[in-house]
Amino acid sequence: MALLRSYSNASSGMGVADHCRDTFLELQRKKTHRYVIFKIDEKRKEVIVEKTGGAAESYDDFLACLPENDCRYAVYDFDFVTQENCQKSKIFFIAWSPSVSRIRAKMLYATTKQRFRREMDGVHYEIQATEPSELDIEVLRDRAN
Amino acid sequence: MYGGDEVSAIVIDLGSHTCKAGYAGEDAPKAVFPSVVGSIEQQEVVNGTKFEKESESMSDLKGGLKGLDSEKAKTKRKLYVGSQALGFRRDHMEVISPFQDGVVADWDIVDNIWAHAFKDRLLIDPMEHPMLLAEPTSNAPQQRERMAEILFENYKVPALFVAKNAVLTSFASGRATSLVVDSGGGSTTVAPVQDGYVLQKGVATSPIGGEFLTECMMKSLESKGIIFKPRYSFKRKEARPGDFQTIDLDFPNTTERYKLYSQRLIASDIKECVCRAPDTPYDESAYANIPMTPYELPDGQIIEIGADRFKIPDILFNPSLVQTIPGMENFIDSSPVRGLPQMVIESINKCDVDIRRELFSSILLSGGTASMQQLKERLEKDLMEESPQAARVKVLASGNATERRFSVWIGGSILASLGSFQQMWFSKGEYEEHGASYIQRKCP
Repeated sequence: MALLRSYSNASSGMGVADHCRDTFLELQRKKTHRYVIFKIDEKRKEVIVEKTGGAAESYDDFLACLPENDCRYAVYDFDFVTQENCQKSKIFFIAWSPSVSRIRAKMLYATTKQRFRREMDGVHYEIQATEPSELDIEVLRDRAN
Repeated sequence: MYGGDEVSAIVIDLGSHTCKAGYAGEDAPKAVFPSVVGSIEQQEVVNGTKFEKESESMSDLKGGLKGLDSEKAKTKRKLYVGSQALGFRRDHMEVISPFQDGVVADWDIVDNIWAHAFKDRLLIDPMEHPMLLAEPTSNAPQQRERMAEILFENYKVPALFVAKNAVLTSFASGRATSLVVDSGGGSTTVAPVQDGYVLQKGVATSPIGGEFLTECMMKSLESKGIIFKPRYSFKRKEARPGDFQTIDLDFPNTTERYKLYSQRLIASDIKECVCRAPDTPYDESAYANIPMTPYELPDGQIIEIGADRFKIPDILFNPSLVQTIPGMENFIDSSPVRGLPQMVIESINKCDVDIRRELFSSILLSGGTASMQQLKERLEKDLMEESPQAARVKVLASGNATERRFSVWIGGSILASLGSFQQMWFSKGEYEEHGASYIQRKCP
């Protein structure tokens, strides 16, 4: 019952593959990835890892990996220096749902988000974006400060 | 768990103005018909001649209504559902709605509307198809239990799911968090949605919807001397090629409500054809000299519509304008009504500070009235002027008119067709084991 109650009003019922959580923990604890991109595999009825980016990759490399007309989830480890010259790192969860993608994809990702998000324990900020301008690096900097 | 992969589900969105029904997985509802029905009170002692007349007019009807007739035999009124049955004028036929103040008050009518959708329009056996129903955002728990009861008991549906209008719209646009502005026929509802839940404390509603605007349009044109002749009240004959003659017909037994219903159909079409939200608040003097747009009424009369094209839609933004429309002056006195931008801002301000920013930047339009030309641009402009500086206002609407008008239905259609969704249904077995209240758990 506890499980049922945590679903939103309408949920896709999609599952989450075990390796999603493991890969996220690698990003969070071991810092081996700069970002992880997840996608929904409809045949397997679960969310899977699509791609990971090495620690040396930049934010632009990450953006280039998001498809223009399909939805994805992603986590990005954002390193920055505060005004007090202090090195900090915050983890962003991004729900990428470009307005030009098919409604079916938007529906699928939106109805699965809450279930998937529960697995990503330790995310600091969340962004839902429907166009590239909402993912500008300034938006991240703004939120993190 | 209900394993219903192989048969397609049926999706129904019963709005205050129109009922949308169709098969899950399709991109538009197959059946779209009025949510109001015609009703004739049946007298206990049937007068011989009158009875004959009635049965005569019944046989005129296409066979479609037969299924309903047998079911309705037990009650004392006869209901006529669907555009066709309602479009046919009958003596003493009233036009009634199942809704009162946005919630279902008469379940018998809803029952008949469903029956019409299943049997006459979609031609399906409800026992074989799971049903996904969209419900008004502020529906009470008792309402959904009642809905479940009727569908499981009377229709023996194998499985059911109920999703809120605002949630379906939000998801269909790819957002789990958004502010949904749903302007439909009977009312306008502004609802904040966070992670797929409606934040009830922030829900704002106003009675100004499409029907109200239609009423204003009609009153305003009537005050200028235009007479709306309902379609049933005349015949047009082509005397010579290209030359039409209108012959008035007299039906003294037509009810006032039916006449009004028929006139509103015309006014509503005028509204949909010519209206456009003005870019700035409506100003009587600035619009005094705008060019007139011609419109041909069903009886051949050509009328010209000027400032009303802009004035009527502006009522959504500035309800006090109704006071300048003859016959509508008393509307505001009864209850204070806010304009659309104020409703949006009030609704957002009732939500947690943390999500306000997000809500301002994901305002979604849905419903027939929100599909009005230039409405999106105007709302965005007004909100930018009135919202806090830091907020980044963004009003989103699908560019496709069908998608905008049916966003709720489309959301339901996709949800119900997802392979992974099949485990989410509230099944007949679960209903029998746990009762109707279990729906609150299955469809929170």
